Amino acid sequence: MPILDLGYRPWTGARSGEWWRWSVVARTGISLVWRGTWVKRILLFATIPALITMFGVGVFEQGTRDESYRIAFNRFLMERNREMGPRGRMSEVKELIVDPSSQRHFGWSNMLLWYFRYPQAFWIVVIIGLVAPRLISYDLRSRGYLLYLSRPLSPAGYVFGKACILFFLLAMITTIPALAIYAGGLLLSNDYGSLLQTWDLPFRILLATAVLVLPTSAVALAFSSLTQESRFAAFAWFATWVVGWVTYLVLTGSAMLNESDVNELHRRWLLISPYHVLGHLQQEIFGLIPEQEHMIGPWIVSGLATVIGFYVAHWRVARMLKV
Amino acid sequence: MYSNKNTDNIIEIQGLSKRYRGQFALNNVDITVPVGVTGLLGPNGSGKSTFIKTILGLVRAEKGHGTVLGMAWPRLVKKLRDKIGYLPEDDCYILGLQGVECVQMMARLSGLPTTEALRRAHEVLDFCDVGQERYRNVETYSTGMRQKLKFAQALVHDPQMIILDEPTTGLDPTQREEFLDRIHDLAHRFEKSILLSTHILHDVQHVCDQVIILVRGEVRLCDTLENLQRPTQSGVRISVIHDGLRFAESLRRDGYDVQCDSDQELRINVKGSQSLQSIWAASKRESVLIQRMDEARNSLEASFIEIVSEKKHAHT
Repeated sequence: MPILDLGYRPWTGARSGEWWRWSVVARTGISLVWRGTWVKRILLFATIPALITMFGVGVFEQGTRDESYRIAFNRFLMERNREMGPRGRMSEVKELIVDPSSQRHFGWSNMLLWYFRYPQAFWIVVIIGLVAPRLISYDLRSRGYLLYLSRPLSPAGYVFGKACILFFLLAMITTIPALAIYAGGLLLSNDYGSLLQTWDLPFRILLATAVLVLPTSAVALAFSSLTQESRFAAFAWFATWVVGWVTYLVLTGSAMLNESDVNELHRRWLLISPYHVLGHLQQEIFGLIPEQEHMIGPWIVSGLATVIGFYVAHWRVARMLKV
Repeated sequence: MYSNKNTDNIIEIQGLSKRYRGQFALNNVDITVPVGVTGLLGPNGSGKSTFIKTILGLVRAEKGHGTVLGMAWPRLVKKLRDKIGYLPEDDCYILGLQGVECVQMMARLSGLPTTEALRRAHEVLDFCDVGQERYRNVETYSTGMRQKLKFAQALVHDPQMIILDEPTTGLDPTQREEFLDRIHDLAHRFEKSILLSTHILHDVQHVCDQVIILVRGEVRLCDTLENLQRPTQSGVRISVIHDGLRFAESLRRDGYDVQCDSDQELRINVKGSQSLQSIWAASKRESVLIQRMDEARNSLEASFIEIVSEKKHAHT
């Protein structure tokens, strides 16, 4: 018997409100995830693109004062917008070459979109694939959900708590670095006018994060809730991205060989690939798509993925409670 | 310390029904659970676990209303969970957490502040006799250790009522006795109301004040253990050193109704004119040494089997 064993003792004290109990699920999950060496490594690697983007913003700002610095970002913007074909904004790029400070919003948005679209989309897929498959499937295997739900916590609160673990990790590699890039840009600009020109970018960053985080978390949690074997959930997660991406490339690539309209092909096959759907939405959010290219389809697909994903996860957890 | 002495019943529910795929797991059950330790008995599939999960709101009842711990049920079922400690029958744990972290997490889920939850977790783990193993990951625990951990999780928020579903499964005999002593202690020193669902009748006899027997989703019996064990006719129970069968024959010749449980254990129904004196006289005459003589009581096992088989016959 422990020397300090005092036997059973009643406890009286103030309890926290019921509405915040989901935060215990989130905090416990985050502390568990944080023990993983690979997660910490990925979070570290994921800061490298942010530093590169920050450097890019620095070069841009230097270019507003010194013409010799413009070559680097001019080439970057020309290539980025040429790749987009009719969706590119070449007129703004040409204006920017003449006077970068007048096109600061366009320049920064392009760099932030690059940051979200390429390196961070990759890290998001990797980190969710590493963390999310275990979140619910482990609890289903060990029946841990019974422990959570025997306390004042609903299945919805449980799923939300689990989703917050992903929100936290994804915010660490998208929102926080992107806001840091923006703040860095303001500090490097040496021009009070830059705040007036780009005041909306933090809101666009938050919206872009939400568009990225909500459907991906929902789908990943749904996969996790459908099996007790986390490896199956991980397989389904990576397969969704790879199959969608490859199919899109094959369908658009083979048609391009026949010299079809690239933009038409993009519109036709966009919804097949989650990567391209999210990319299109981010382009819209950062205002880098011409009016005539706006599409409702990606918004609907993204919304449906969010709703169905969370519904499936909730339904599976609630269903497990049946005797 | 709070007391539930001023309320007579911890659970009062009427018309409770729950079906799974058209089959009634609970069929219009009216149930009243008084303060104290209550044994919930019944054969497999009788609806015990459904009843417990329904009380906790883990399973939604189709019909039924009432009060649990004086609070409207099922309307306030989420609030109720702060007042109820639940030890599930299933082997359940959170993968990757240490024992103490698991208990701390459960305390925080019940609204305790983080530091206080950790202090309280250590306190109940000491009470439940979990030593340094508390710093090991729970997936490495033996079945017995997991039962102790689940008990600690059920107690950590100092609930008013504790629901224990098969709590002694996987415990060795010594641990089981200690576990039952803890239940007894909680009920009698700290005035906790306990609902104990088990198949082990010895556990019920050891700690329970009253018994509820569920059969096929219906309450077949709800009575105190004392009433249940009260003999239906006056009699004695005798233990002899040896030659019990010969002694039984001799008593039968004297007109006694004797039943032999073994060569050492006899049950004798004593009718109006018959006296204990003549039993002693017969033992002297037959040179059989009586080791012990008690008032005969009904065994819980016999009552349980009788109630369960009655129902079976009714169904056939």
